Parts: sequence; C-alpha cells; structure tokens
Amino acid sequence: MLITALLATSLQGIPADPGGTWRAVLDLAGGPLRFAMRVEGTGTTWRGSLCNGPDCEDFSAITVRGDSLAFEMADYDATITAVAQGDSLLGYYRNVGNRGPRVIPFRAGRGEWPATNLTPRLAGSWDATFDHGTRTSPRVIVLRDGVRGVEASFLANSGDYGLYWGTATADSFDVGHFDGAFVYRITGRIDGDTLRGVYHAGARTQTPWTAVRTTGKRHLTPPLEVTKADTTEPFRFAFPDTDGRLVTNEDPRFAGKVVLVDIFGSWCPTCHDAAPTLVDLHRRYRDQGLEIVGLAYEVTGDSAIDNRQVRRFGRKFGIEYPLLVAGLNTVEATAATLPQLEGFTAYPTTLFLGRDGRIRKVHAGFLGPATGIQHTRTVEHFHEWVEALLAEP
Amino acid sequence: MRLFLVILGSLAASLPLSGQDVPPAVAAERAAFADWLLTSASSPFAVVVQRAIGEGLTLGPTAADIPLEGLQLHRVTERRGVPYLNDGTRDRVLARFRQTSIGSGGYKISIIGAPGRGTAIIYGPSPRQPKPPVFYPYQSRLSLTVTLDPPARPRDRRILAADGSEVLATEAGTVQVTLEGKTTELQVYRVPDVTGEEAELEIYFRDATNDHGTYPAGRFVTLYPLGGSSYRLDFNRARNPFCAYSSVFACPIPWRGNLIESPIEAGEKYTGGGLELTPPEET
Repeated sequence: MLITALLATSLQGIPADPGGTWRAVLDLAGGPLRFAMRVEGTGTTWRGSLCNGPDCEDFSAITVRGDSLAFEMADYDATITAVAQGDSLLGYYRNVGNRGPRVIPFRAGRGEWPATNLTPRLAGSWDATFDHGTRTSPRVIVLRDGVRGVEASFLANSGDYGLYWGTATADSFDVGHFDGAFVYRITGRIDGDTLRGVYHAGARTQTPWTAVRTTGKRHLTPPLEVTKADTTEPFRFAFPDTDGRLVTNEDPRFAGKVVLVDIFGSWCPTCHDAAPTLVDLHRRYRDQGLEIVGLAYEVTGDSAIDNRQVRRFGRKFGIEYPLLVAGLNTVEATAATLPQLEGFTAYPTTLFLGRDGRIRKVHAGFLGPATGIQHTRTVEHFHEWVEALLAEP
Repeated sequence: MRLFLVILGSLAASLPLSGQDVPPAVAAERAAFADWLLTSASSPFAVVVQRAIGEGLTLGPTAADIPLEGLQLHRVTERRGVPYLNDGTRDRVLARFRQTSIGSGGYKISIIGAPGRGTAIIYGPSPRQPKPPVFYPYQSRLSLTVTLDPPARPRDRRILAADGSEVLATEAGTVQVTLEGKTTELQVYRVPDVTGEEAELEIYFRDATNDHGTYPAGRFVTLYPLGGSSYRLDFNRARNPFCAYSSVFACPIPWRGNLIESPIEAGEKYTGGGLELTPPEET
C-alpha cells in the first residue's frame, strides 16, 4: 500500500512526455480504428500530427499538465484528452455535432504500427454493395500497398472519402480513416470470389457490405454532371481578373488555342486537389497551343475579400494562367453567368474547348490524390484529351 | 488529501465496479455532455428558434416569421434543395450543418434536414441561462444485455430525432426487457445523424417516472452492440429529448408501445424549463 502511494506521488510529479511516435486507436463498438500520432518538442512546447499512414494532419495545439495531455483539433472543434500511465496514454476523443458531443475511448502506446502487405487475392478494385436494411447503395473500395502498409480509397456516388490506412492478413483487411472529424473503418474478409465486410462509421454504426472484383461496368453514378452544354457556338465568358481588368474569350491570348476552363472556388477542397494537375498541364503544353483560364465562384460577393482569396489560391499553386472572379457560388449566379451550361452544380468542373472555341468535353468533379489509381487515371485522361485536341488542325 | 484521492482513483481503475459507481465511459460521456450544454455555441440553450423552411421564412423585424432584435429583414428559402439567405440585396448559399453569421448581433443560422425538407436553426450569441444535466445515481442493475430481434421486412418511417429534427429512420426490430417481473417489448429504430453517414439504434421510451422526476414525453436510450444480435441497453444513459431543455424544440411523439410500467430511476432527470407537456395517455 505504501509503495503504491509513493509510486503514485512520484508519478504525479513527473510531467508526461508526449514526444515520439504513438500507435493509437479509437475503440469503436466493432473493434479498434488504428492511426498514428507523431509528436515533437520539449518542456512546454509541443507540436505534432495525427496520421493515417503517410497522410498527416497537424494538431492545432498540444498541452501537457502533469500526467494529463490534450491534443486539440480546432478546425473540427475536437480534442483528444488522455492520462499518461507509464508508456501508455488512456483517454477519450470527443467532438461536437448538432445533437451533442460524441465521445469515443482512445488509447495509445509508444512505437510504430507494423507495416503489412496485401496478398494478390485482396489487392485491387472492388465493386461493393452496402446493405442499409431497407435499401442498398454502391461503393468502390480500392486496396493497394503503400509505403507504410495497406492503403485504401473508398468512393461513393458523392465522391471520395480521403485516404484509408491499415493492415492485412492473407485473407482479410482492416483500414481506417480518422482525421479529427470523420471516424470511418472498413473491415473485410475474402470468401471465394466475394469480399464481405463491415463499414464502421463513428462509435457504433455498422453497415454490412459484399463486393466483387470491379468488372469495368459502371458501378457508381457520378453525382453531379452537367446535363447539357451548348456545343454549337464558341464558349463565351467575360469576367474581371483580381485586379479588375476584364478578360474575355475573344482576347488574342485564346485565339486558335485549345482552352481549358476551370470552374472553381477557393473555398472548394476538391478544387485545391485539381489545381496542381492544371498547373502541370499548362507548363507542359502551353508552347504547343494550350491556354487555361480559371473562373472563380466565391463566397462573399465582397470583391476585396474574394479577390484576395483568389490571389492566394493562385500563389499557393504557382498558377501562371489568368484567374477571373466570376461571381458568387450560387446556382443563380452560375446559371446567369454560364448560360451555355445547363444543370451546372459540381465544383470543380473543367471544360475542354477545341481550337474553334467550342466545348468538346465537360469533366465534372475531380478525384484527388487520396483515390490513388483513380487519381492517376483522371490525370492521364486530362493529358490524353489535351493532346488529342492539340493534334487537331 | 490529494494523495488519498490518487490512491482511490488507481484502485477504482483496477477493481470491479460496485453497483453505484459510474463506469469511466459513462462518466466521460456525461462530462462532455454537460460541457456542451453549458458552453457550446451549438448548445440547445443557445438555440433561439428551430423551424422548417417550407415556403420560406422571414427573419428580423417584429412582423417577420422569426423576429430577431436588431436584425434587418432577411429571408431564408430553399430552392431545388439548396438553402439561401437573402439580406435584402442578394442571395447567398447557406452551408448545411454549419453555422453562418447573420447580421452583426451575434445571431447564427444552421440548416439541417434532407435537401428540400430543410429546417433552419437560429442560434443566439451564447447559451442563455444553461442548466447542467442532472442524473439519477448509477444503478448497475439497469444496465441490461438484450437481444435485438430484427423485423422480417424493415420499413422506413419519418420521425423526429431527439433534437426535434425530422429524419428518415429505419425499423431495426424489437428488444424485450424484464423489470420487476414484468416483460415489455420495446421498438428500436436506426436513427441517422444529420450527415446520414452515421446512425444510432435508439429506443424512445416512457416509464413510471415520467412527470415524476423525468420528462413527461419520455426519454431516448441508445443500444450499444456487444457482437452478434446482443446489445447493451443501459438505462443509466437515458437522456432527454431537447424539448426538455427549451420550448423552442419540437417534441417527438412517443413511440407506439414502448411503455415500461415500472419506474426507471436511472439516467437523466427533468429539472424544468422545457416545453410544457402533460404525460401522454397509454396507447
């Protein structure tokens, strides 16, 4: 008893040391969601990040008080609080939703998660069907080996869910995505030619699914496609750049060129994902006759603020093509300013114009780097389409 | 004294819990909930109005649908599933499930509900006269293991969730609870969250404490999976619908059946201040 008491006092006196790499889990009802935490610093100054394999998000603050630690994620109004017990951390993750806080048990130990590889039976793309009880819905799960272990992307009709990371055995896999706000885990096991598993969302939601190898037949329905584009006449636009100078499709810089029109917003994360691809296309093909123009639909309608946001977007990606401030990101504003597109709703949307200025292709949305091979394929398509249009007389 | 507490704490963590101790997970849940009610910008005590958008809502002047002191006329509409806020000069798109400031008086608006069936929530600058939640002492005998018996053909039904928002919930089946020698069958629904990605297995139930310590309309309790068809039904985690905190929230109609004749003296109590209700008749 005395020894326990002495031990307890001495432990109280030593502040916890959060430095290093932690194997962390959230204990969901269906089992643990694994992720890593990497922390650096000394004394009272600590910084660190929360990682799903190679994909890390910084904590906004890390505080240490005695043996208690708090890892803050201010963007999501979320916190991990824990008590250090020897080389373990024990505590809770909590964030706030509309119906109240969500509390999920958290624990961590020192060290790295072991990296495992996929067997060929599991690797690749799977067309999954989720069973919601009264209805089903399609998803695509793509499993691949990454630098730190198994990676997965997960696509629904509404888009992709970011990078999943985890482990595999000969016939099963277990991957998770925890970014501070979203708590998702996918587990699956192969059974003959069928992959069967459970999708875990939040602390308790478990949705069963089954999947077969992707056949190439369309399994997902792209959410928001432009229903109709006017291809009979050149695509017209006339908007000010961030310095207020009017730029139109009739300017000499576009004459006889293949033009990509990027309809985007500085507020749109997928547009940030797409920008590097456009910058790369521009650098690579502009000598052969490619021009790009970005049409920004912004949030405030206050030109001082919107111009500043669009300029920042340009600087962030080193964009050398014109960015025009086209208006507010409302359905009315886009319908009024882009009358040649009907049913436009997806940000970003890329229009491919031939040398005659007419719309040849409309690409709604963009699959980001987290989708792995899907991203690579999207980028390849962009290159192929540009090369094909440049080759036309 | 400090040392004594530390020892007690470490012993408590390693010994089985007695019937009255609050398990750590439940204690953490209660602490987070109390903190949210008392301090959060999205606390039910910060909500001024919650109302379906329908054909449109006007905000601001005394004659508006929702009068808000110091706010000039604004209008909220939903067209083709997209919510808009008009400040008299222009429309702006409102983000769903996220607070957007209106005017300069500290009011915020958030849109919940499915596209085309949106509900506007107006928040004041901070929680007004918030009250901490009060719980009965923990009773481990009211933490039950139950078996969920799924329906042959589940159906979807529009119901109000605990926060008064309309959701499309799915029948998940029934569980049987035996208390004081009497067995009651309780309906369970899978109730989606605002994003639709997550759902909880919920039971909205009434018992003999309603209007005698607990809220007259009944309380919600969540089922926690234990594997297979087994679930933990812990009445100590029963909580009030938001209409018990403030009369601005719509109150869910008690679910058919789901009436426990014995008193469930566990979970959250009612301390007044909510929508005034008389206990519903037995069905």
